[in-house]
Amino acid sequence: MRCTGVTKSYGAGDAKVMALRGIDLDVRHGELLMVVGPSGCGKTTLISVIAGILDRDAGECRVLGRDLKRLGTKERARFRGASIGFVFQLFNLLPALNLVENVTVPLLINGVPRKDAESRARRVLEEVNLGLRLDALPGKLSGGQQQRVAIARAMVHEPKLIVCDEPTSNLDHATGQTMMQLLRSIAKSPGRALIVVTHDPRIYDFADRIARMDDGKIVEVIEGGGKERLQ
Amino acid sequence: MLRLAMKMLVGDRAKYAGLLFGISFTSFLVTFALSYLCGFLTRGFAVVTENPAANVWVMDPAVESTELTTNIPDSALSRVRSVAGIAFAVPLAFATVDARFPNGRFQSFRLIGVDDATLFGLPPLQGGISATVLRTPDAGVVASGGTAGKLETPVSKAAQWPYGGPRLDVPARRLAAGDELLVNDHRVVIRGLAKSLPRYPPKPLMYTTLSNAARLLPPERHLLTFVLARAAPGVSARELATRIKAQTGLKARSSADFKADTVNWLLINSEDVGDMASMVSIAMLVGFGVTGVLLFMFTTDSLRQYAVLKAMGADSRLLLSMIFVQSGLCAVLGTGLGLGLCAVVGKIAMLEFDYPFRMMWFTPIFGGLMVMMVSVVAAVISARPVLKLEPGVVFAGR
Ligand SMILES: Nc1ncnc2c1ncn2[C@@H]1O[C@H](COP(=O)(O)OP(=O)(O)OP(=O)(O)O)[C@@H](O)[C@H]1O
Ligand SMILES: [Mg+2]
Repeated sequence: MRCTGVTKSYGAGDAKVMALRGIDLDVRHGELLMVVGPSGCGKTTLISVIAGILDRDAGECRVLGRDLKRLGTKERARFRGASIGFVFQLFNLLPALNLVENVTVPLLINGVPRKDAESRARRVLEEVNLGLRLDALPGKLSGGQQQRVAIARAMVHEPKLIVCDEPTSNLDHATGQTMMQLLRSIAKSPGRALIVVTHDPRIYDFADRIARMDDGKIVEVIEGGGKERLQ
Repeated sequence: MLRLAMKMLVGDRAKYAGLLFGISFTSFLVTFALSYLCGFLTRGFAVVTENPAANVWVMDPAVESTELTTNIPDSALSRVRSVAGIAFAVPLAFATVDARFPNGRFQSFRLIGVDDATLFGLPPLQGGISATVLRTPDAGVVASGGTAGKLETPVSKAAQWPYGGPRLDVPARRLAAGDELLVNDHRVVIRGLAKSLPRYPPKPLMYTTLSNAARLLPPERHLLTFVLARAAPGVSARELATRIKAQTGLKARSSADFKADTVNWLLINSEDVGDMASMVSIAMLVGFGVTGVLLFMFTTDSLRQYAVLKAMGADSRLLLSMIFVQSGLCAVLGTGLGLGLCAVVGKIAMLEFDYPFRMMWFTPIFGGLMVMMVSVVAAVISARPVLKLEPGVVFAGR
C-alpha cells in the first residue's frame, strides 16, 4: 500500500474541513503499522481512504496494486469484500446473529456457500478461543470477547489488508494487550498487512512502525526502536 | 446472506411483532371488509337464491334488481306460459305495506304474494308447520329478513291498542302463530315464521297468497311483479329467457343473470358500498402507516448494520434483496395471519350474530395483493436510506 500527497476535505464553502492535507505513507507486507495522533487529526479519514470507503480528493493511492478511485462503486465494493478486513472501535457485530453467523458474513458476501462458510467461521472462532460459544449472541459476550469475534470476522476471508480503528479503546488494559497479541500474530502471516489506528500508548509496543499524525499530515514515522520517545 | 437477513428481522422481536401486526391488520381489514361487501351483496339477491327451482325471472323491462321493482299486467303470466320450452311459470308479487301491531306500533314489511295454487315462493316454515296454513282465511307468514327486534308484539292482552293510545314500551315477545296484525285496516293472522334468507337491505317479510295480497293492498292497476319460470329439460335458462323476451316484450333473465344484475345495481345505488370502500381505504391507510413506519424504523435502526455490511463489500443489489426478503417475509406471514384471523372472526360473526360475511375466492387474493403493495412500498421507502448510506459512518465513534 502506498500513498503520496493524498488530500481529503469534508463539506464545501465556509464549512469546508481539510481532514487530510497531503499524506505520504506506505505499508509493507507483513507489518503492523500504527497510526497515532490527537483527536480530529484525520486518522479515521485516512484509513477510510485507504480501505476504499471514502474517495480521496487528490494525490495517489494504490492498495495491493490497485487505484481504488478508478474502480466503479460495484468493483470497489467487491475489492473491499475480497481484500480488506475491518475491525471497528464499537465491534459492530450484527446483534441478531450468533457468533458463527456473524463471522460467515464476509464469506457469504464473497459468494462462499453457507456450509463451507460456517465450517471456516468455526475454525477461525476456535483460533480466537471462542470455540465454546459458537451459538451465543454477541450481546451475551464481554467487550473483549466481542472484539475477538470482530477480529475473527476481519480475518476469516484471509484479506491482504486489515484496518482497525481504535480496536482497544473500549477494552480494559489486560484485554487490550491480549487483543493486540492476537492482531500481531495475524499480521505475521506472509503477504498480509495491518493498519491500527489508536490513541492508546500502552499498545505501542506491538507496532512495527508508528506513523504520527497531526492536523491532516503525517508528522513522523517512527521505526520499531523509537517507541519509547512517543510514550 | 438472505437467510441471515431473515434472522436479523426476526431477531428484533419488538419490531418484528409490530410489523407482523401491521400487515396482519391490513390483510385482515381489507379481506374482512370485502367479505362483508360480498356478504351483503349476496343477501341482495336472496329471493332469487330462495327459489332455485325457478331459473328464469320475468319482469317489467325497466326493472334492474330485486330491490327496486314495478309491476306488470296479470296477463303476463298467461303470455309467459304460452312460450315454448317452459316447464312451469308462477306469479310472484312484491309490495311494501305498513303493519299495525296490537299495541299500536307500526312496522314496514315487504309483502310477498305467492301463487294461491302452488304456494311457490314460500320458504319452509319454522317448527315443521305445513305451508298450506297460508290458504286459511287472512293468513300471513312472517320472517325477520335480516332485521333484529322488528317482529315484537306485546306479551299482555292488556297492552292493546287502541284503548288509551299506543303503548310502545310494554314488554314484548316475538310474533308467533295465532297473533294478529292489521294491514291497511285488514286483519292478518300470523300462521307461522318462514325460514327465509336474510335480506339486504334488511327488511321484515310477510308472505301471503296473491288473492289475500289483493285484499290487503289498496286497489292498484297491477299486482304482479315477477313471473317465475322454469325451462323444460333440454332448454337452457338463457335460451328460454331470450325466447320469452322476444315473444312477450317483457324482460326475462336467467336467475344467474338476475343475481348479477342485482349486484351491479346495488354496487351503483347502495350507499353502503361507498362506506365499504372508505372502510377498505382506511384499512389500507392504517396498514400503510403502521407497516411503512415500522419497516422504515427497522431499517433506519439497522442502518449501522447495513453500513457495516456495505463497508465489508456488500453491494446495493445484495442490500436491496435483503430488505425485500425481510418485507416479503413479513408480507407472507402477515397475510397468512390476517386471512386466518379473518376466516375465524368471519365465521364466528356469521354464525353467532347472523353477520353478512362471505369470503369468496377473490377476497383473500385481493387482501393479499393489497398487502404485497403495502410491503413493496414500505420496502422501497426504507431502501432509500440504505442505498444512500455512506459506509464511512461505521468508523464514527458512536
Ligand atoms: N463526515 C464528516 N463530515 C464533516 N467533517 C468530518 C466528517 N468526518 C470527519 N470530519 C472532520 O474531519 C476531521 C478529521 O476527522 P477524523 O474522524 O478523521 O479524525 P480522527 O483522527 O479519527 O479523530 P478521533 O481520534 O476523534 O477518531 C475532523 O475535524 C472532523 O471533524
Ligand atoms: Mg477516529
